[in-house]
Amino acid sequence: MLSSIAKPFAALALAAALISIVLAALGASPLGVFAALGEGAFGSWYACVDTIVKSTPLIFTGLAVSLAFSGALWNIGADGQLTIGAIAAGAVGTHLGDFPHSIAIATILAAGALGGAVWGGIAGWLRARRDVNEVISTIMLNFVAVQALSWVVHGPLMEPSRAYPTSSPIAPAAQLEFYFAPSRLNLGMLLAVVLAAACYMLLFNTSTGFELRAMGRNRRAATFFGIRIPALTVWAMALSGALAGLGGAVQVSAISHRLYEKLSPGWGFEAIAVALVARLNPLGIIPAALLFGALDNGSQAMQRTQGISPELVQVIQGLVILIILAFDTPAWGGLRENIFGASGDDAAAVPPVAEMPDA
Amino acid sequence: MLRANAITKRFGRTLALDGVDFEALPGEIHALVGENGAGKTTLMKVLSGSLAPDNGQAVLDERPLQAGSPRAALEAGIAAVHQSPMLFERMTWEENLALGGFDPGAELLDLAAVATRARALAAKLGFELPPGGITIENRSVAERVRLEVLRALSFNPRVLILDEPTSVLGPSELAAFLDLLRNLRGEGRIVVLITHKLAEAIAVADRVTVLRRGRVVARTTPAETSEEQLAGLMIGEIVIQPDAAAARSHTGAPVLQIENLALADHTGRRILDGLSFRVSAGEIAGIAGVDGNGQTELVELLAGVRKPSDGKVTSRGAMSVIPQNRDLDGLILDMRLWENLILARPLREQVTLHGWLNASRAIGLCRELIERFRIRAPGPDTLASALSGGNRQRLEVARAISSQPRVIVAHNICRGLDLVATAEVHRRILDFAAGGGAVLLISSDLDELLAICGRLLIISGGKIRETNPGDRDPQRLGLLMAGARD
Repeated sequence: MLSSIAKPFAALALAAALISIVLAALGASPLGVFAALGEGAFGSWYACVDTIVKSTPLIFTGLAVSLAFSGALWNIGADGQLTIGAIAAGAVGTHLGDFPHSIAIATILAAGALGGAVWGGIAGWLRARRDVNEVISTIMLNFVAVQALSWVVHGPLMEPSRAYPTSSPIAPAAQLEFYFAPSRLNLGMLLAVVLAAACYMLLFNTSTGFELRAMGRNRRAATFFGIRIPALTVWAMALSGALAGLGGAVQVSAISHRLYEKLSPGWGFEAIAVALVARLNPLGIIPAALLFGALDNGSQAMQRTQGISPELVQVIQGLVILIILAFDTPAWGGLRENIFGASGDDAAAVPPVAEMPDA
Repeated sequence: MLRANAITKRFGRTLALDGVDFEALPGEIHALVGENGAGKTTLMKVLSGSLAPDNGQAVLDERPLQAGSPRAALEAGIAAVHQSPMLFERMTWEENLALGGFDPGAELLDLAAVATRARALAAKLGFELPPGGITIENRSVAERVRLEVLRALSFNPRVLILDEPTSVLGPSELAAFLDLLRNLRGEGRIVVLITHKLAEAIAVADRVTVLRRGRVVARTTPAETSEEQLAGLMIGEIVIQPDAAAARSHTGAPVLQIENLALADHTGRRILDGLSFRVSAGEIAGIAGVDGNGQTELVELLAGVRKPSDGKVTSRGAMSVIPQNRDLDGLILDMRLWENLILARPLREQVTLHGWLNASRAIGLCRELIERFRIRAPGPDTLASALSGGNRQRLEVARAISSQPRVIVAHNICRGLDLVATAEVHRRILDFAAGGGAVLLISSDLDELLAICGRLLIISGGKIRETNPGDRDPQRLGLLMAGARD
């Protein structure tokens, strides 16, 4: 148990050491850079809130990825699903001016979830009925979603003055408000955390979640025991898409308030790294997404104060992910055994299986 | 000379090998016998370099082997044939063999050269290879074993270690295979044969080493011992063969009815051709046949994994299926025991309320079944992969029976199991039938079927036929299994 907590920290320490070498070689002061990174990510109330805001879409998409991956459905399309969810939210959001706030919010979020569910569901249906590999279909649907966004902001949803490729802002009633403005703290993060708990319960406390995990571990055995693979595939991909789409809707409702091209900087792809770092555990998604959000947020301060190029920031992010994943292997267990001895205490508590009476 | 010196290997809480000494001489077939979980396979893996021992070392001709390196073992002249097939299903047999020593090692892969060399070696060993370009997936198990042996021999090893190679072979294939081993011995190689089939060990081995619970309990020769004595050494207790009489005496109303069942593959070839039979309450009906005659497909149809092209299956009451491939179809190895238990829908429903899974109830149920079915496991939270083959099968039987079905369909359930586990699985099946359940037991082991089945059917070429109730002559039945007509 201890090791599962210590591991990510050890990985971070190793990443910091490696990065220090790179920074020193480039003539920058590693300490100054890390201080700026920490300062940028957590140095003030605003910095903390911005870290949270930057992490929120990563939680939604991270949950989408971890849910699908738990069923061995390799959904690479969280980005497209988020984009379609955002389009649906942006389209619906402009028409909600006459509704009460709560209904408008519920509607815009539902529209986003539905949009994402349709986009994920298409890939699920193609897998279940036509045996199309979901890796391919979700990547293709990503392209379609990006172009669809580009088209709507140049066409049907373009703002009335036709000067900029953006949509009209959504109605104020459909906007998630900022608490403690001017900070951008909003309800989106809370929703993400609640959904993470819900996903955890779905996977580990329900019969359907069990079926999904069984399908993920051994599709053949799941088939033998009457688990309806096609239905479960469509359902899981739709739910995965809904989570990503909801992330898109939250982004539109709380932050961007309108649609524009390249709305997502690649959250759906970063989400794969988030989900893997969290070992697909929905509760682990929250700290993993916060880590990525903090790196992203802190790196801007790093650029400002230390003159580190944004490219180097990406190098640092990449190194951190790689090192965390590299630590997350049986080899690490072996290393621990070599240093601390085989898990000695609990081995003594129970007699070895080989000595138990057989029959 | 191949020697293992005081090898100790521990897996978590399990002491798999406890200071094992072992030696085998050139020109010798050395049988390594023991029940499931005795440590045979672990010892083999240490000798062939795929596992590093915690203590001790393997020595070939006074030279210590590098621990934990299959490549080093191979270079030193030790080749192994593993228990579970290590073939690439969707590749051709030549491609599979190209990974062995047949590849001339030129820049480009020369499959024709591989095939020629393989055929030459196969001919020398007395068997034939299929036509070129045929993939592994539809080949019989006997052919797969031969291909694996061939691949191992392609390295021209001085030591060949075989892990339970014969458990999948029919009677006629077995004789040929034992001759093959004798040929290898004649060439002065060291052959280590891991088996739990004692008759076989006595028939072919020069010396026998008996393992029990990770320790060597006897070193002997066939001349000095007997099957009974070896069985006693292996298990340390007397096995009571189940009494089949009960199952034969009374049967009730038909529970499982199969009518005109047919299955064609995508080319239109008939894999199953108009099967009709019924199984009644309280009856154990056996289907005997050489593997690859449609049994797997029949089980898949009964389990609902496939749809028949024609005909229908009627079952009065729930059915539990125990598929033949424990590790692929029956269990999810990297899930916990209790999770594997609730793979069965009736058990899952038992611990589910309004869609919510009650894990502690499932764990309680699992603990109860571990106790009742004597599954050797630390507890319900153990991963299925940590169990030995026999205990995996006990888990499957426990799951099937506790699902309270009217019918159990079981396919090769005792394959690879030792005497104790086999007897116990059979006793459970007999108890189930005695309690009014219907059992369809599909097996390629005629002795098993004759021991516990009241009625015997033969499957051959996708067709099924009843046998005469009085006809229990294994030789005649063996001929029918091979496809002979009356």
